[in-house]
Amino acid sequence: SPTASASFDLRRYWTSLIAAVETELDAAMPMRPPETIHSAMRHAVLPGGGKDGAAKRAPPVLCVAACELLGAPRAAALPAAAALEMLHAASLVHDDLPCFDAAPTRRGRPSTHAAYGTDMAVLAGDALFPLAYTHVVAHTPCPDPVPHAVLLRVLSELARAVGSTGMAAGQFLDLAGATALGESEVMQVLTKKFGEMAECSAACGAMLGGAGPDEEAALRRYGRTIGVLYELVDDIRSASGNGKMRSNASVLRALGMERALGIVEELKAQAKTEADRFGDKYGDRVLPLYSFVDYAADRGFELQDAAARP
Amino acid sequence: ATAAASATTEFDFKSYMGERAASVNRALDAAIPAGDPPAALHEAMRYALLAGGKRVRPALCLAACGIAGGREAWAMPPAAAVEMVHTMSLVHDDLPCMDDDDLRRGKPTCHVVFGEPIAVLAGDALLSLAFRHMASVDSYPPDVDPEKHPARVVRAIGELARCIGSEGLVAGQVVDLEMTGSTETVPLERLEYIHLHKTAALLEASVVVDDILDVTKSSEELGKTAGKDLASDKTTYPKLLGLDKSREFAEKLLCDATEQLEGFDKEKAAPLLHLANYIAYRQN
Repeated sequence: SPTASASFDLRRYWTSLIAAVETELDAAMPMRPPETIHSAMRHAVLPGGGKDGAAKRAPPVLCVAACELLGAPRAAALPAAAALEMLHAASLVHDDLPCFDAAPTRRGRPSTHAAYGTDMAVLAGDALFPLAYTHVVAHTPCPDPVPHAVLLRVLSELARAVGSTGMAAGQFLDLAGATALGESEVMQVLTKKFGEMAECSAACGAMLGGAGPDEEAALRRYGRTIGVLYELVDDIRSASGNGKMRSNASVLRALGMERALGIVEELKAQAKTEADRFGDKYGDRVLPLYSFVDYAADRGFELQDAAARP
Repeated sequence: ATAAASATTEFDFKSYMGERAASVNRALDAAIPAGDPPAALHEAMRYALLAGGKRVRPALCLAACGIAGGREAWAMPPAAAVEMVHTMSLVHDDLPCMDDDDLRRGKPTCHVVFGEPIAVLAGDALLSLAFRHMASVDSYPPDVDPEKHPARVVRAIGELARCIGSEGLVAGQVVDLEMTGSTETVPLERLEYIHLHKTAALLEASVVVDDILDVTKSSEELGKTAGKDLASDKTTYPKLLGLDKSREFAEKLLCDATEQLEGFDKEKAAPLLHLANYIAYRQN
């Protein structure tokens, strides 16, 4: 329902969440010896003052929103939300390496290898992956309200999402030049590189919030759709000159602008259909899910402004 | 008591290790089905993981579960996970931007065969697989205690993640990198820090021996480029202490490790005791 969606202040919701996630991340990576590696890890994860502004933290927001939809406390999902950001950052650090995308910048600042050297960037990624699991194990309130068996499923899901059939598969297909091929290959790269992480975010929130199997499945589909939508809109915006600097230009070349815009509409409709399943049972708590779809599609506000004025 | 004592002396360490290596290899083989898409990425992971090696770390994990009164099969997923993590650290260590090694266990390294980006990805994917494999209920035999099992595995995952992170394995690699090529004399504590973090506890002895072998053995015997550590001006125990002193140090570590086992049942402790001896005195 578009009217209800408009009445929900996603910007305020997102801003308060980002502040909580930043605090959690900052505390999870104190400076300690050996200082170089911890400094590199902090550089990779914490936003700093780059010209592209604060990190948007979409995976943590999805995770917490899914958990809160089910009426569970935010505290149950926050450690996993921070872990998602660590895993995401670790993948990006390795994706930026000279042997991959050779990206000199990330979020408007030098990429981790540009600032700390290639060897240290490899190790920063290698250390961020396990830190994510350490963080979840050490900080998730367990066994109450999160039972050990649920925590295990969350850990397995986190590892699956960044593994050889998840995000790493997307990076592999991208390397292999799949985005230069047809629509189905391009959509597969987007699904693996961006959909898996978003699906995992929503799925972890669902598990931590005590979702039943059908609810978890719906939230997985919702998350996956949002992840692809979010990235495709990024690519469209940068192709039209008002988005971020770097993008998958080949995605737009392969799809064509008209088809890309058509897919955006399809994804929006799909995500809203999934969110609709929760409206009857959870009422207004479904509003963050609706407004997230609109934000992913339209970017109606700039989050860096929001983050600057908490 | 006599039976236990004779069981200890007659303990056939060689076949014990052979059997463990075979069962660990079966578990690793099953954990990455060949041909699953993306096939080339899984092939690179299998290439690195199934390249051989004595599987000392998983054997330690299995033996430690046994001495604590568990079935070894219960510890197979963590044992396999430890080997995946170990392999991942080797694949990344060998990269051109790190130690730049062309040979590992007598075979071309992962990046030589598959290219640098795939080697980075294969390492990352092995690390993820380790935790996924260890966390998944499906990895374990059906006779684990359904009440106690989840909490135990959560603890073990926390432990593994802590040991390989920025205050464990990676810390060792960082200090190792920072020391390599440095002209200042490296203090012994610094070197101990590197090895303590890169391998931890009982396996520290293993690394001391590794360094000794690196100087005295040829490439074929070692399955890796001999003298590599010295050639790259990497600080090693033999370079710092001399060969004899390094051996003495290894013996002292062995004594420490053996002392840790004194409180346990002799028969159950036999595998761990032999493992410690093996690590300290092996020739390759």
